[in-house]
Amino acid sequence: MLEFDQVNVSMAGVQVLRRVSFRLAPGATGALIGHNGAGKTTTVRTIMGFTEATGDVRLAGESIAKTPAHLRPGLGVGYAPEDRRLFSAFTVEENVLLPARVGRLSAAETKRRLDRAYDVMPELKELAARPAGSVSGGQGKMVALGRALMLGTKLVILDEPFQGLAPVLAQRYADALKRLRAHDPDITLLITESNPKLLAAFADTTLTIERGEIEQHAAAAA
Amino acid sequence: MDSTIFILALLDGVSYAALVFLVSVGLSLIFSVLRIVNVAHGSLYAYGAYVAATLSLAVAPISPWLTFPALLVASVAVGVVVGGVMERFLLRPVYGREDVLQLLITFAVFMIMDNLQRLIWGVQPIFASTPLKLLPNVSVLGVSYTSYQVILLPAVALLTVLGLRYFLRHTLAGAVILAVTEDREAATAIGVDARRVFLVTFMIGASLAALGGALASPTTSLVPGMGADMIVLSFAVAATAGLGQIEGAAVTALMIGIARAFVIYLQPEFEVLVPYLIMVLVLLIRPMGLFGVDKVRKI
Repeated sequence: MLEFDQVNVSMAGVQVLRRVSFRLAPGATGALIGHNGAGKTTTVRTIMGFTEATGDVRLAGESIAKTPAHLRPGLGVGYAPEDRRLFSAFTVEENVLLPARVGRLSAAETKRRLDRAYDVMPELKELAARPAGSVSGGQGKMVALGRALMLGTKLVILDEPFQGLAPVLAQRYADALKRLRAHDPDITLLITESNPKLLAAFADTTLTIERGEIEQHAAAAA
Repeated sequence: MDSTIFILALLDGVSYAALVFLVSVGLSLIFSVLRIVNVAHGSLYAYGAYVAATLSLAVAPISPWLTFPALLVASVAVGVVVGGVMERFLLRPVYGREDVLQLLITFAVFMIMDNLQRLIWGVQPIFASTPLKLLPNVSVLGVSYTSYQVILLPAVALLTVLGLRYFLRHTLAGAVILAVTEDREAATAIGVDARRVFLVTFMIGASLAALGGALASPTTSLVPGMGADMIVLSFAVAATAGLGQIEGAAVTALMIGIARAFVIYLQPEFEVLVPYLIMVLVLLIRPMGLFGVDKVRKI
């Protein structure tokens, strides 16, 4: 589903990713593990088209290396950034629905995806009318996941979703991911995390990143 | 102060505030979304005025009433063509680079447009007051005033406030602009083409400046330098209100417009000083402006 082939990224003259190659199969749950500054966020930002990268990035076999960033979500890629980045001018539900409006999805498809987001995270429904700027950090992570699910029909990228979450909220978030996996067995998940233990039971593919180099270990990886 | 002067100053102030608001809200909109202080914004005001006057003079012999649509056509044409070219070919290549580069480019555009304006329309004053004469005078508490200035201009400003508010809060295009304003990368991650939003926003902001100029054209003689005066004044209004504040810009324009008008009647030598004195006093007390919040990227 997702392939990196000899990807290099430099920022301000410093090479952040070095000849990165890995592959996540359809339906895989990949854990991208690394310390702060190792290159996790740069890897996911490269998938989204926010970096100047060389090498090839492929989605479902097709190269997206030259695809403009704003067209990548339309290919079925949902992204929940590390710091949530909700739009405070809107309510929670408006935040979740905005990708569907931008992508001009039909009413039926929008409803189907919104129902999926609510099935995965029932608590989102209770927050729906709240201004996005007023939700807590943990709730914001849920909203960001809901927004990513409106687009992520093939690949959902979650950047450090557990960072800063209280244990109770982290458990709820993990439960939501399990429901998502049960609901959509074919969807590919890529989750970044600095603590390898947190995703050990959940991920079937582990990508370890150290100083911009990725090593892939997994029985499920091709 | 006798009551006639008081009413005249008030009406002058409201009428002038409407024009200043149109220009400053365009400046503010562009700054909020693109983070660019467009020094050439006053030139768009001047071109709006000159193109509107040229069109008005051309269509008036056919029917004087055609001068009204001519004002609108001139505004949109200047906003879309000049604004579009500026954003697409001059500003887009330098996004993400040092802010000073964008400032220098818009300053260079201002200089070029100012000289081009003298080349096209010359330095002699141009008058095109047909729209002003077509509408009747009205009597306000015994003082006679043109309805163009006392009714039409404030009405257009009010419609612009309401229209912009509706556009931003209740349409998809407005929601997309708000999203890009708040977080360009997050907006791109949900499929928004931020470059297109920048272009459209710049065109809207430029059209508003040109609309200000077009509506001003029947009320004054058009002379070189009118753009420079307006950019400084509209910047004072936008900064005093707090950059990115639509309703705030309207209230501040009204405040500064009325204060300026009263000073013209009472102590004309202080006319130029008053708007900037208000701006300095406000910014000393509230650096984010009267209506600004901590984060300036709000519209």
